[in-house]
Amino acid sequence: MLKEEFRTHSSYSGKYRFLTFPFFVFVMTFGSGLTLNTMLETVSLERFATFSHLAAFLYGLSVGAFGIMGREYLERRYGRSNYLVAMPYLLPISFKTTFLGIYLRDVLFYILLMLVPATLGLVASAPIMGFSFASIGLLFIALILTFMLGMSLSFLASVIYIRHTRAFVAMTAAIAALFVAHGAFGAPALEVIVPGLGFQMNVRPFGSDWSEASLYALASVVASVIMTALAYALVEVRISIQSKAHADLLPSYYGRIRLEEGLGRTLLAKELLDLKRSGVVAKMFFAFILPLLFLSFTTWYVNYGLAIPVGFNAVFYAAMVGFVAVMMYNWLNNIDLAEYYSLLPVTVPQLIRIRIAVFLILTLGISAFFVVAISILNGETELLWLALVVMVVTSVYMVVLTAYLTGLKTNTFLFDTSVLMKFTVMSFLPDLCLTILSFSLLAEWTLAVIGIALVLGSMAVTTRILYKGIESKWARMPFDA
Amino acid sequence: MAVIEGRDIVREYGSMKALDRVSLTVEEGDFYGFFGPNGAGKTTLIRILTGQLEPTSGTAKVLGVDVVKEPLRAKELIGIVPEVESPPTYLTAYEYLYFVGKVRKVDKLEERIGHWLDFFDLEEKKGTICKDMSKGMRQKLMLASAFLHEPKLLFLDEPFINLDPIYQRTLRDYLEEYVTKGGTVFMASHILEISERLCNKLSIVNLGKVVAQGRIEDLLKDGENLERLFLRSVGIKASGGDASRRTSSS
Repeated sequence: MLKEEFRTHSSYSGKYRFLTFPFFVFVMTFGSGLTLNTMLETVSLERFATFSHLAAFLYGLSVGAFGIMGREYLERRYGRSNYLVAMPYLLPISFKTTFLGIYLRDVLFYILLMLVPATLGLVASAPIMGFSFASIGLLFIALILTFMLGMSLSFLASVIYIRHTRAFVAMTAAIAALFVAHGAFGAPALEVIVPGLGFQMNVRPFGSDWSEASLYALASVVASVIMTALAYALVEVRISIQSKAHADLLPSYYGRIRLEEGLGRTLLAKELLDLKRSGVVAKMFFAFILPLLFLSFTTWYVNYGLAIPVGFNAVFYAAMVGFVAVMMYNWLNNIDLAEYYSLLPVTVPQLIRIRIAVFLILTLGISAFFVVAISILNGETELLWLALVVMVVTSVYMVVLTAYLTGLKTNTFLFDTSVLMKFTVMSFLPDLCLTILSFSLLAEWTLAVIGIALVLGSMAVTTRILYKGIESKWARMPFDA
Repeated sequence: MAVIEGRDIVREYGSMKALDRVSLTVEEGDFYGFFGPNGAGKTTLIRILTGQLEPTSGTAKVLGVDVVKEPLRAKELIGIVPEVESPPTYLTAYEYLYFVGKVRKVDKLEERIGHWLDFFDLEEKKGTICKDMSKGMRQKLMLASAFLHEPKLLFLDEPFINLDPIYQRTLRDYLEEYVTKGGTVFMASHILEISERLCNKLSIVNLGKVVAQGRIEDLLKDGENLERLFLRSVGIKASGGDASRRTSSS
């Protein structure tokens, strides 16, 4: 299973390029280690540790949804890829055992992919900066505890999602309520919600209360084991060979699209119908809304929970929305295999452009609603016009950038270091400029607006260049490459 | 008139040479068989000739169109049935044919869709999306989608696979009639009994190289059938109904 996972990921970008991903992580944490003392002048080590644990928790959440993914693997078993999860059809092995195997595989795989190289980066910087190896080792253990908690929670939540949607919503709401209660009232303590953080805060360099640390570690392990055991007991794979009859909707979708007769209209109608039938819109909606809520909570927590006076405003949120929305493009590329397109007079760039259009149809409305709501809630309706322009330009820029760099295989940008670096630089720079300029709006309105206009203008020009470049970059690429 | 012309086609996958200087000519009205053991390069050649894959070197033309330079133009003119039946997951049979028809700008689309749904008995499962179809149904749908625009040249990669005997016969009869009316078929298949009845010319490939090529009647030795010819060409000694291990690599 580990080999299968490695080959799946390395198939996106090649074995050696894939292996540069952990190296990239290593370099990032090595660099962070070297500059830690400078960063500690503005942010305390406790807060660094807290954010690291929240990141590990989210990382675990993002890779543990096997309950959903298992079904998708199964439904695609007739494509070019077959996964071991489909083996229970052929071998005397139960689905439950297979899922447990996948859980253990992913624990190992993702720890090796991210946490180990991140820790090694810190270890490499230790002799230069004088960090304690023991402290780094304890950080590694604490992050594993938190990562596994997130992964177990995600595994359980995805299993519950498949069985009882209402129970899933209730569970998600309860967990969100815990974090909101912590942010609003300081209780329960973050260490109680994420015991791995409690372990961290009681060992070097933060403390040396080993009995307290052991209790937190035990609590984290027990919580992870219980959630995994529950997920194991409840996991269910529904084989969706259904007799359900579907109406022939494509002609009516085609008829409703007010474009010229032609390929674009046909592809758009088909992609929109895929969205409806695959049921992925609801998942995409959550995948988009949850980060927005998380973003809102984080900024609110920084402002009020940590009492750091940062000038978050509607323009800042608008820029962030554009950057968050790009995840939706990844979903669009994972709805179905695209091999059948290679039999038709259709090119990869034509399909990429249609998916960009679908992305904008899906996201611009939600994004605009979010920006308007934030403007009203913050009492910043005078910024609304600017926020909406920022949101539209960043959304279009980000999806075109992603499409240009990754084509129809967006997962590549996660695992191909050269693509990841280009993506990071090209998204981080305008994001940073817009963030700083948005903070300056109250103090230097005219200058800040001119600055934002210049950044948006540059993004618009770059968008146009990249959009045109999609043709030459992807024209010779087969659909099944 | 040559409808397929391949010259010195080479395709490499890393250090592995899937096709090694393969050349062939297919005339209008031919039913051309392309045979070889598993992994011999059959599907690779079909993908190159249909503009789905670029050769490492060599040239290929179908219906006078250079498939490397103008793959879209080539795809407009031909019909393709792939080795793996892979219609879009979430469309019904009718919708897939409608989609293909719109992409290919097919005239009298409703009429043609109705004809092919009826021909392959796909009306019975109307409303079923491809994900929920049997392999046989999906294969029928892929065949219907390749025939929909009435191309003059068909590329079929294992077209009989997954079809029941009734539809194997229906398809065989249709293809015979199609060629009689001037169409051309280029077919890769492992079902030699059907192929022998249908094909007038062939190429046999082994390890990426052409090891036999020409009119079937010219290639067969006394009393030999296509299976014996195939085994002899790829270096397998046949005795009675059995085939012993490969005696040499051709």
